[in-house]
Amino acid sequence: MTNNDRKLLSKKDLFNSYKYWMRYALSAQNMERMEAPGFAGMMARVADKLYPGDIEKQKDLVKRHTTFYNTQPMVGVVVNGIVLGMEEKKALGEDVPDELIQTTKTALMGPLAGIGDSLFIGTLIPILLSIGLGLVGEEGSIIGPIFYMVSWCSIMLVFSWVTFKYGYRLGTDAIKLISESGVKDKVIRFAAIVGLVVTGCITATYVKFGISWQFVSGDLTKSVQSVLDGIFPGLLPLLLTLACYWAMDKKKVSLGKLFIIIFLFALIGKVTGIIG
Amino acid sequence: MSLFQAILIGIFGYLSSNYNPWGFGQLTGWYGIGRPLVSGLIIGIILGDIKTGVLMGATVQTLYIGLVTPGLSMPADLNTATYIGIPLAMISGATEEFALSMAVPLSALGVALVYAVQTVNVFWVRKMDEWVEKGNIKQVGNVPLYASSSQAIARFVPIFVACYFGQGAITALVDAMPTWLGNTFILFGAILPAVGFAMLLRMCLNKNLEIFYFLLGFVMVKAMGLPITVALVIACLFGYLDVKYLNENVMISRATLSKEEMFDD
Repeated sequence: MTNNDRKLLSKKDLFNSYKYWMRYALSAQNMERMEAPGFAGMMARVADKLYPGDIEKQKDLVKRHTTFYNTQPMVGVVVNGIVLGMEEKKALGEDVPDELIQTTKTALMGPLAGIGDSLFIGTLIPILLSIGLGLVGEEGSIIGPIFYMVSWCSIMLVFSWVTFKYGYRLGTDAIKLISESGVKDKVIRFAAIVGLVVTGCITATYVKFGISWQFVSGDLTKSVQSVLDGIFPGLLPLLLTLACYWAMDKKKVSLGKLFIIIFLFALIGKVTGIIG
Repeated sequence: MSLFQAILIGIFGYLSSNYNPWGFGQLTGWYGIGRPLVSGLIIGIILGDIKTGVLMGATVQTLYIGLVTPGLSMPADLNTATYIGIPLAMISGATEEFALSMAVPLSALGVALVYAVQTVNVFWVRKMDEWVEKGNIKQVGNVPLYASSSQAIARFVPIFVACYFGQGAITALVDAMPTWLGNTFILFGAILPAVGFAMLLRMCLNKNLEIFYFLLGFVMVKAMGLPITVALVIACLFGYLDVKYLNENVMISRATLSKEEMFDD
């Protein structure tokens, strides 16, 4: 516990990490792991600060963050702060398990995306835009767009930077608290369960497909999907996700192979019109 | 429209799109100058008619004022609607309503571009994994930078072509893509996150039976229709109950899952 107040990251490093995430969170947005490259990239940029010269540790650090990640980036920046705080403590030799870091990200990304989309994108932006539209009026005044740009950017830049710094402090403090009070196993266990439930929630939100085939007999047309929904809503996406887990975990199917299988599945399903 | 003006509109179209890495990313881009209200001003300045630009931007904005674009599910893409619709309406001397009517089909083009970019970017995920394995940490930090080139091309080219060569060019562009291929990509994109969640499961799942926690989360959202924040509260309750009553003598064995196992592919 002698390392508690030591720091590896300067204020400048923190700001650079914040700026990196704000810029690059979405620039490598992809269907498979969404914002993972942005998160891993942010860690890669500070890897040498956290583990100077130790390439194996740096690899482990970055690898931890190449997993699926998706949230509302402007609101979700608090997670980057928390995780950066945790990683710094880990680099300083505190006992921070990988699972704790992973489950923190998993548990927070979904709810923060929900908060970000409803509160900021769905509420704040329409309010500011309405004021801006009012200022444009009949004459097409440029005050309208300028008002929106200035108010939105100043509110969100301050908000995102403050929450990022708050998250960073929270991350370091939480680790201190956890390791000092000896409740680590319980915290990890708790986080793992919350993470599992939230993984289920976001699977239900993101994996979306069904059977578009319709059963026709005389005048009777019955959608197969509606029958399935009556039994278990979202059964197919659920089974497919579990099948992917089974294939990767138990059958050791490589990611690349799984990827091709799913593409063929989509292609055949679409061309035959069974899946949609 | 002059070549120079078309290039400028193409560049600002890209800078206003989601996923572009300039300024403060989404904050100043997509949700900043990417709102039609602001884009109208920029287009007006480029085309030398600020008043018309602002008024058209404001009209298109009213259509999309409450638009939320969560994750992959993009209902409409404002970017193409704004940066193709408004300039074309302005140079043809059409009314704001004309820009508005073009905005709807053009936003569908934007949605198709989003899926195309997200598919191409999977290539960079592969590269990222490769560079992590090789210990090329510096390159991992550059992945989002390289990947952003796909968005630059996907935005600049259609906007520039449409503005410079007119509306006919953009309809030809939309028609050129076979629908079955586009639809396959959309379906592919709807299924593919399953792989990401399967990877998360491998990390969080300790004992096979704990899959019930995952199922609980799935059912709460899909069958019971609960918002994710409400589901989180219930998840916390289960976590608390588990820690308090079930887990007193179960130690963490998850650490046995080695990192090599987690990432081999």
